[in-house]
Amino acid sequence: MKKVIEVSNLTKEYKSVRAVNDISFDVYEGEIVGLLGPNGSGKSTTINSILSLLSFSKGSIKIFGEEMSPNLYEVKRNIGVVFQDVAVFDELSVLENIDYFCGLYIKDKSVRKEYVEDAINLVGLLDFKKFYPKQLSGGLLRRLNIACGIAHKPKLIFLDEPTVAVDPQSRNNILDGILKLRSEGATIIYTTHYMEEVEILCDRIIIMDKGSIIASGTSDELKELANIEEKVSVHISELSDEVIEKIKSLKNVEEVNYNGDVLVVIYKKGEDNLVKLMDFLSKNKIRYDKIFSERPTLNDVFLELTGKELRD
Amino acid sequence: MFIHNFKYSLKTLFKDKILIFWTFMFPIILGTLFSLAFSNIEDSEKLKVIDIAVVDNGNVVFKNVFDSLSDEDSDDRLFNVRYVSEEEAIKLLESEKITGYVLAQVKPKVVVSNNGINETVLKYVVDEIIEYQSIVSNFLASSMHEIRLEDIQMSEFVLDIYSEVSKKMNEEVNIHDISSENLSYTMIEFYTLIAMTCLYGGIFAVVSINNTLANMSFKGARVSVSPTSKKIVILSRLLASYVIQLLGLVILFLFTIFVLDVDYGNDLSLVVLTSLVGSLAGLSLGVFVSSIFKSSENTKTSILIAFTMAGCFLSGMMGITMKYVVDSKAPILNKINPAAMITDAFYSLYYFTTRDRFWFNIISLVIFSVILIVVSIFSLRRQRYDSI
Repeated sequence: MKKVIEVSNLTKEYKSVRAVNDISFDVYEGEIVGLLGPNGSGKSTTINSILSLLSFSKGSIKIFGEEMSPNLYEVKRNIGVVFQDVAVFDELSVLENIDYFCGLYIKDKSVRKEYVEDAINLVGLLDFKKFYPKQLSGGLLRRLNIACGIAHKPKLIFLDEPTVAVDPQSRNNILDGILKLRSEGATIIYTTHYMEEVEILCDRIIIMDKGSIIASGTSDELKELANIEEKVSVHISELSDEVIEKIKSLKNVEEVNYNGDVLVVIYKKGEDNLVKLMDFLSKNKIRYDKIFSERPTLNDVFLELTGKELRD
Repeated sequence: MFIHNFKYSLKTLFKDKILIFWTFMFPIILGTLFSLAFSNIEDSEKLKVIDIAVVDNGNVVFKNVFDSLSDEDSDDRLFNVRYVSEEEAIKLLESEKITGYVLAQVKPKVVVSNNGINETVLKYVVDEIIEYQSIVSNFLASSMHEIRLEDIQMSEFVLDIYSEVSKKMNEEVNIHDISSENLSYTMIEFYTLIAMTCLYGGIFAVVSINNTLANMSFKGARVSVSPTSKKIVILSRLLASYVIQLLGLVILFLFTIFVLDVDYGNDLSLVVLTSLVGSLAGLSLGVFVSSIFKSSENTKTSILIAFTMAGCFLSGMMGITMKYVVDSKAPILNKINPAAMITDAFYSLYYFTTRDRFWFNIISLVIFSVILIVVSIFSLRRQRYDSI
């Protein structure tokens, strides 16, 4: 597969703080790559360095095989960016905003008109074309922000936390739109700290913390790093220490946590762990409200690797 | 791409209600208030005759002018003049029996003890006489140089000079009447109002530059990642800012001329030139503030408004006396104050007969603008930033 982005040994320092620490990664054509990490982990700094907005201390960045620079207009023509903050003009309508930003890439008016219509349809703003940004809800505003960044049909799209503070309906719309863009051939870099979005969208995930890449791979590959096979949660109102000790001694049980309401039993390996736990509870006549089993999440991976929650 | 940016810049700037208020509405409101407040003052001041003393040290021109301005039979009587010795003039001034005295010597001097409208009028009249004297002296000097005395009879020479001077004064030199009827203190207020509007136009430049630079706004970042040259975006936006600035000035001129009856003199082309150059100075100031200070758009706008108001205050917006106080105590301040340069350009255009002072102000404004733009370019040229 063709490399679209090649980042080698990228380091970015702000005075005494190393915001990005010697990271290297490649992105291939047609992929959706997720940059996952808590706030301040260096995701946005990495994106802004790739886009030549930020100077960096060390390393090299190639896009479409060319060393990236601010004057590389032919390369920039094929890049779309959706920034974390909404960047639209309050004085222009939805249609005008998209037309303005699209016009920075597309000169031909008739082509631009068609592209703008496509972008409006993609983000579901057809009924709001003549609205001004201040008349839109937070979710609709985010959709406009996305439309302004992708209307010119770029081959490479950077989406920096596009779903922050968005209602579920708009979030679904945005995620559907991103998958549609990929189906049309775009390569996408998606930064977020919402692990469920990454799991839905991304072919590959790069996990960042404190400016470094701490893990990368597919969702399944990363989950193997968590060293957990299964996690069973049981809602129990009362549980003695003696019973907890007995549960800990059950086969394959790695860890048991009980907070007074929910019992969480973590298994490292094995099969039918849920059934075996249910048998144990009924034999000991312990009543419970709910019981369910989970596969390890990316948060568990992050916890395993850094010792802290992803959303800390 | 230039037209596309220019069109949308016009749209965004025109629809920004706060911008339009400060640059279109505020000067009109202020102008109306000036008109209401100062017209009454002028009416009451017109009837007052100012007590002054002249220490006659042989300057004939001075004596003649002051004689005519203190003619008791004239409707335009401006002064009550006493011809005294310098010692007596000092005593009269100390006992506050006169507003000030004039040392009518080769290099005339005005001495006052306070700052006020009467003192300002006296200073203005003396300035005007000096200007008048200078024109006549220059003309005589050039005529003397051209004519060989041995070729003509002396009487003919004197007659020629007299007729030439008269012709020049009538045809080329348009000295305004020095009379209480014509002398308007409020004119300075309106000149500073125009200066303020020119400089407020810089707010458009602040917004335009802020929306272009990646380290200033996300809109700027969005523009910076596009394949459109930064130069094109900046130039198209500044042109749009300039156009709107000028439109604001045209509206203000029309309002003050037709509604408030303000007279800007007869030389329309130079009035237009002053407005164009003044607006350029405002635009440069906006570019400078926007590109040098890394703060929010509101902070930058506040800096520009504060600078403009301070500049207008020093150039006489809240009272003509301030202009003379600054001119006499700290002249350098008004030499680097764009509001003072614009005000003084209009002032010299209206009150003075020669254009030296006018062109000095225009050239000063151009230099001021060029310096600010050159300094700003260093910041504007940056394409990658340390932080955004």
